[in-house]
Amino acid sequence: MSDALLRFADELGAAGPAEVAAPVAELHLVTFTLDREAYGVPVQRVREVIRVGEITRVPQAPEHVRGVTNLRGRILPVVELRSRLGLTPAVLTPRSRIVVTEAHGRILGLLVDAVLQVTRIPADTVQPAPEDIRTPEADWLAGVARRPDRLLILLDLDAVLLLQR
Amino acid sequence: MSAEDNAFRELIDEYVVECLPLAERAADALVDLERRRRAGTGGDELLGPVKGWLHTVKGNSAMMGLTPIQESAHALEDLCAALAEHGGGDGAGMLALLVEGGGLLVDQVRGASRAGAVEGVAGWLTRAAAARGAATGNGKSADRRRAERRGGAEADGAPNVVRVDFRRLDTLLEVLGEGLIEQAAVAEAFRRVARRAGSTPGVPELDHAILALAKTMKRLEAVVMETRLLPISSVFGRFPRLLRGVAEGVGKRVRLETNGGETALDKAVLDRLGEPLLHLLTNAVVHGIETPVERRAAGKPEEGILRLGAVSRSGRVAIELSDDGRGLDERRILARAEELGLGSGGEDSEPHALIFQPGFTTAEQVSELAGRGVGLDVVAAAVRALGGTIAVRSRRGEGTAFLLDIPLTLAIVRSLIVEVDQERYAVPIAQVAATVRAEPQALHEINHRGVALWRGGLIQVTDGGALLGTGGQSERGRRFYVVISSGGRRRGILVDRLIGHQDVVVKGLDPALGRPDVVSGTTILGDGRVACILDPVRILEQRVPA
Repeated sequence: MSDALLRFADELGAAGPAEVAAPVAELHLVTFTLDREAYGVPVQRVREVIRVGEITRVPQAPEHVRGVTNLRGRILPVVELRSRLGLTPAVLTPRSRIVVTEAHGRILGLLVDAVLQVTRIPADTVQPAPEDIRTPEADWLAGVARRPDRLLILLDLDAVLLLQR
Repeated sequence: MSAEDNAFRELIDEYVVECLPLAERAADALVDLERRRRAGTGGDELLGPVKGWLHTVKGNSAMMGLTPIQESAHALEDLCAALAEHGGGDGAGMLALLVEGGGLLVDQVRGASRAGAVEGVAGWLTRAAAARGAATGNGKSADRRRAERRGGAEADGAPNVVRVDFRRLDTLLEVLGEGLIEQAAVAEAFRRVARRAGSTPGVPELDHAILALAKTMKRLEAVVMETRLLPISSVFGRFPRLLRGVAEGVGKRVRLETNGGETALDKAVLDRLGEPLLHLLTNAVVHGIETPVERRAAGKPEEGILRLGAVSRSGRVAIELSDDGRGLDERRILARAEELGLGSGGEDSEPHALIFQPGFTTAEQVSELAGRGVGLDVVAAAVRALGGTIAVRSRRGEGTAFLLDIPLTLAIVRSLIVEVDQERYAVPIAQVAATVRAEPQALHEINHRGVALWRGGLIQVTDGGALLGTGGQSERGRRFYVVISSGGRRRGILVDRLIGHQDVVVKGLDPALGRPDVVSGTTILGDGRVACILDPVRILEQRVPA
């Protein structure tokens, strides 16, 4: 298993490598789309999903940061997830959503094209991404899950959000 | 880290919170005692409370198993007792030992959570024991010690006081901010409903409730702000001891007189005020106050006087720090300014203000304590970063005074709300010199940079959109410029609209937003939109690109 996949399993509740070796039976995910692909993040890290409101630009912020928005009185930084993953920037549509994640007392929003569902998938459908598509820049790639109808790309949120590990 | 470690860590933190002020108070009183005994003006009445504080520190240290600190406090107690028996004068060198020991004790308590001994403690303990033995023969009776112990316990009573972690007050303020915004949203929604329903809303109770809520929130805000205030004496209190060491190091004699110590400021401001003040004081001792010989020759008392005072004035605090030293040498300042190519100080024709320029120093030798890179420019920058101002006044031969004007709090900032390219920004009023209608005939371009005629002079004018990265195309169409000002520098920023004044609750910048140098924070406006708070101080520090 890759490091990223181990961390992903970790977030899903496994205490350490010993337990990962006997894989957790199910992964509980929030899935969404960016461009034509489907992505998943652990539901444990998602606080809520909100509609896109007024987003205020922040001067000189990193390119992949869309701005900040008011989440009931808290300032929510909104990450332009498409830019972060090397895709073309998002065009807002009525289906656009912000996936609000929480870690270490901070909240961060991920701008996505549309939210698909909250779902459970068998852990044994997950595999590391093929060696030759893993580049140093794509450290956010935790693994890939095979579903009957599509592939799910699993994201390492800490890497996506450039958080301390 | 295990749960036990965490619990211990918390206990140690609590210990430091309780004992550090006691150790500091004792150390300060010992400095005072030394000065007064040497001057022959008594001071022995300080010994009682000092022994009480030391005793509490000793007891708490013993409870935490901090044996080295317990020993130091105990040795200090004994020295105090020996000194009292010895009568007047310097008590066979015990005064200096007490002052030294007080300083070491403070260092020990402050570093209680760290492993390892504080340097110098072992040597001091040996000397203290020797001095005590020489002074009193075999120490004192157990009866007297017990009596002192009781005195110490009585000094500890602090009824009706609760200790709260300051982070909780930060959280409280944050929640208050959310409440204020939600209250504004409710009021706004009600107004919309009322408009739709015609002139009479038809629900007078609701109208009243909204008004009452607004008033209550205002009061709540005042109360929350009050809980964050600490007397400035909590910063001043550290200075006597620190200055004593500085003065000794450069062979000066100095007395620090403070007043207005009860003046209260937001703890967040106080935390950032201590260092610049200490720099100014150190400077005054090293450069301002003359040596005792020079002072005598000038007909002044040998002991120099530093005065540090604070007074609050409508939402701001004025701090004045003055010395009766040699004053600033205007000719040398101007000569040095010429060397550095600083001109005559630009708009500030006051040559004294030049000393706040980066890299400015006229001190002949860079002394161990002052100078060495950290100059008045750094002090001035720290003060401006707090949204304050600093000025200097000086008379050759009579002394120098620094005047600081500091906001009471950083949490809520009175701001001008402006609009640039459909985005709204808050500009702290403290740094807004004027708002001006941008008449095309008053705006010019020199060397590809905008300038405007303003109050009979020329100031540079920057497009807001270019500065904030939203364009700069519609520059021609901007209708106003805001003149920001800080530390004698001014610049105009072109904006589309002036929205109005508002007290904004300051929210930080998440690290995910990078480190923008034109923005200091964010806030939520009455309509629920987020706005960035501009940082005029840092904007003025930047050179404007063509």
